[in-house]
Amino acid sequence: MSTQPPAATRASAAKRAAGAERGHGAPASDGVGGSGGAKPPGVIFEEVSKFYGEVLGVNRVTLNIPPGITSLVGPNGSGKTTLMNLMSGLIFPDHGRILMRGISPRDPETLMRITGYATQYDTAPRWATGFTFITTGLLLFGYGRREAEEKAWKALERVGLTDAATRKVAAYSKGMRQRVRLAQAIAHDPDILVLDEPLNGLDPLVRAETIDMFRAWAAEGKHVIISSHVLQEVDVVSDQVVLIANGMIVAEGKIRKVRDEIEEHPSQYIVRCRDRNASGVAALLFAEDHITEIKLNDDRLGMLVMTRDREQFARALGRIALDGHRIESVVPADENVDALYEYLIGGES
Amino acid sequence: MNPRAFGSRARQAWTIAKIELRRTFFAKRSLWVFALALLPAVIFFGHGLDATWRVERLARRGQTTAALIDSVQVGERLEDVRTRLGEPTGEYGGVRTRRVRQRTGNAGTTTHVIEPPVDARFVRLNLTRPSYRGEPVPVARIYEFEVYGPDGRVNLALHRPATGSPPCSPEQGPEKAVNGSVGGGQADKWCAQGWPLFLQVDLGTVRPVTRFVVKHASAGGENEDSDTREFNIQLSGEGKSFTTVASSSGVGFVEERSDYRELGYFDGRREAGFHFVDGKLQNKIIRRVLDFEEDRLIFAGIFQYFYLRLAIFFGCLGIFMYLFRGEMSNRTLHFWFLAPARREVLLVGKYAAGLIASAAIFGGGALLAVAAMTWPHDPVELQAYWNAGGVGHVFWYGATAALGCLGYGSVFLAVGLYVRNPIIPAAVLLAWEGASGIFPHVLQKMSILYYLQSLCPVPAPMEDDAPTLIRLLAAPAAPASRPGAILGLLILTAFVLCIASLAVRRMEVSYGAET
Repeated sequence: MSTQPPAATRASAAKRAAGAERGHGAPASDGVGGSGGAKPPGVIFEEVSKFYGEVLGVNRVTLNIPPGITSLVGPNGSGKTTLMNLMSGLIFPDHGRILMRGISPRDPETLMRITGYATQYDTAPRWATGFTFITTGLLLFGYGRREAEEKAWKALERVGLTDAATRKVAAYSKGMRQRVRLAQAIAHDPDILVLDEPLNGLDPLVRAETIDMFRAWAAEGKHVIISSHVLQEVDVVSDQVVLIANGMIVAEGKIRKVRDEIEEHPSQYIVRCRDRNASGVAALLFAEDHITEIKLNDDRLGMLVMTRDREQFARALGRIALDGHRIESVVPADENVDALYEYLIGGES
Repeated sequence: MNPRAFGSRARQAWTIAKIELRRTFFAKRSLWVFALALLPAVIFFGHGLDATWRVERLARRGQTTAALIDSVQVGERLEDVRTRLGEPTGEYGGVRTRRVRQRTGNAGTTTHVIEPPVDARFVRLNLTRPSYRGEPVPVARIYEFEVYGPDGRVNLALHRPATGSPPCSPEQGPEKAVNGSVGGGQADKWCAQGWPLFLQVDLGTVRPVTRFVVKHASAGGENEDSDTREFNIQLSGEGKSFTTVASSSGVGFVEERSDYRELGYFDGRREAGFHFVDGKLQNKIIRRVLDFEEDRLIFAGIFQYFYLRLAIFFGCLGIFMYLFRGEMSNRTLHFWFLAPARREVLLVGKYAAGLIASAAIFGGGALLAVAAMTWPHDPVELQAYWNAGGVGHVFWYGATAALGCLGYGSVFLAVGLYVRNPIIPAAVLLAWEGASGIFPHVLQKMSILYYLQSLCPVPAPMEDDAPTLIRLLAAPAAPASRPGAILGLLILTAFVLCIASLAVRRMEVSYGAET
């Protein structure tokens, strides 16, 4: 990133620092301001919830994402795009607070100068060529036309789109549209890059180049936040992983730590017995070390069991059944999260 | 806000406006907005062309003087007019026929004689077409029915028992047809409604009868059209089987013929149409082929009733609703929301683009229409008009159109931020604007049209006998002064834009369910 930021950007950086001083900056845990070579403040979510009408988007999300490459991983529909839209102010939380390096997403004037967001929305204005699309966006940053065009060209070069720069975006292939969105997000050289499934539709060569680009940005101290539903795609490049399922953060941290967390994360099962013998089964189960909690139902037929070790739990249930206790069914309480765990564990092996 | 921040935001809004402007002007969807704006100009241009060609055509056929045209008087003979004014520019004529009631002069009384006399006790009058009116429900109106024997002096039916179809009212029973009088007004007739219509008189004994007299509606003073048109008379000895002895088709219609002739003359500016019937001038119509005063009033009418109420209204709907709602449906709104601009700056930029585009389109359309209205007219007459405030009129027409875009634009921008479907709010707003003239004065001030009409330089034409309600709907009873109207419109627009800015700050990109 050798480009000198324009006056507007420098001004906004100064304003950011002033903003941090005014008290809406990073929390004390980060212990840094926005300048002076210290570690920049993170991307912070505090108890953030978002509902689409009665449908849950994300629920009580608390995050502190440090600079570097962070991957939001979760199945389709888990809330990744909602989190990214919340970060960029395209939607607003119903509860909680978000700060992007100390700036609220409700202040797009400041935030979007340091943030680039490559959305998943596969649309561009009909009139736009790849080049005009990016140039037009840059004009809104206050750049002069010549400077905007230079920056646009540079961004297109970085994503390998110069050959198609003068063609209409509407006529681009899926991969090219993906790249033009990426070019638009990076054109103003932002500090925070939010990229929704950025590797989708890229051919292997461009994908490798793009990943290298992510690494280079991360090395410069930028936030690179990418989403993916394929863990293998991101775990080799990610400094941090945020695991999300059903709108809730399941695990967060370095990739190794996340896997350890998952290993130890309790699983929930609903166990139903016959002959109203649930309390007997519960007593036997509770003697096991890996069982952390059991909640008995009032009907004395069912119970909710939490275990740290699913394999041991399965073996214990087998023993109990052989002892003559009649167990009707065993069902995972949260199949979606469970599937994700399976997936992650599988990815490690 | 410090002045530098304000300046940078203003520049940013202008950049947004410039980007949007190109799209607003050159988008395919703007074509119909252009069509709406140019329609009055096209109408007046067509009218001007037609009038110019007409003047040339008439002038080629020959011209007379204004004084000679004015000298022609109603009642003059065709030959005299032709001799004095010369050959007309146009002439046509023919024979006109029309169907008229045949007048009999019988004062509504018909007499029917049968030879030789027939012996009968019961006499029945059947009405088969009871009037000339063609009423939906047939109505019989018989003031007197008289029956005479061979001596011809004594009315055998007088005060005899009479029966018939049910009467229209109790005092109009069948006995009134045999009471010997016709002068007692409506209550002195037999009136009956609905088929069958008949009147039957019992003569008491079988006796020879030879003549019948029927006195119809006009005999009692009613309109001749109410006279019986067709009927028949039947006789019977015992009251069961009747024999028809007389029938009448009443009186019918005849064709009236008249010769008519139209002569047209032209004096260079005015054309005269003289209408002669049977060789005499019945009426004359003299009008200018190109009447500037008339065109000016028509322009005022088109401007107020079409341009302000419909063209600008729907044009602004198309332009301003698209600015946010259209981008949402095209899934391109995030492009703007991801720009480093305050939402209010985005709103102002987009509004400015819509305003510049619509004001240029509709202001330009109004000026073009004025040009199209004036070009064929006499330069001297036009010069007089410009000297007498015409330039001011043109300015205010353009300004009113542009201010209309200012007001309606803000409203539709706000509506687009709050509502997905424009049809219902547009219908409500159109009704509100259209009916605001009948509201109390305070509510009228909540209508854009109230201010726009107050700014119009020429009042819209209105028939003298138009009902008060129509007058109120057409123009405000107490228009605002010009400065007041502009100030009111600006305040209203600022208020609506404030409401819009509240919505745009809260607006979220929602193209569908995404998680």
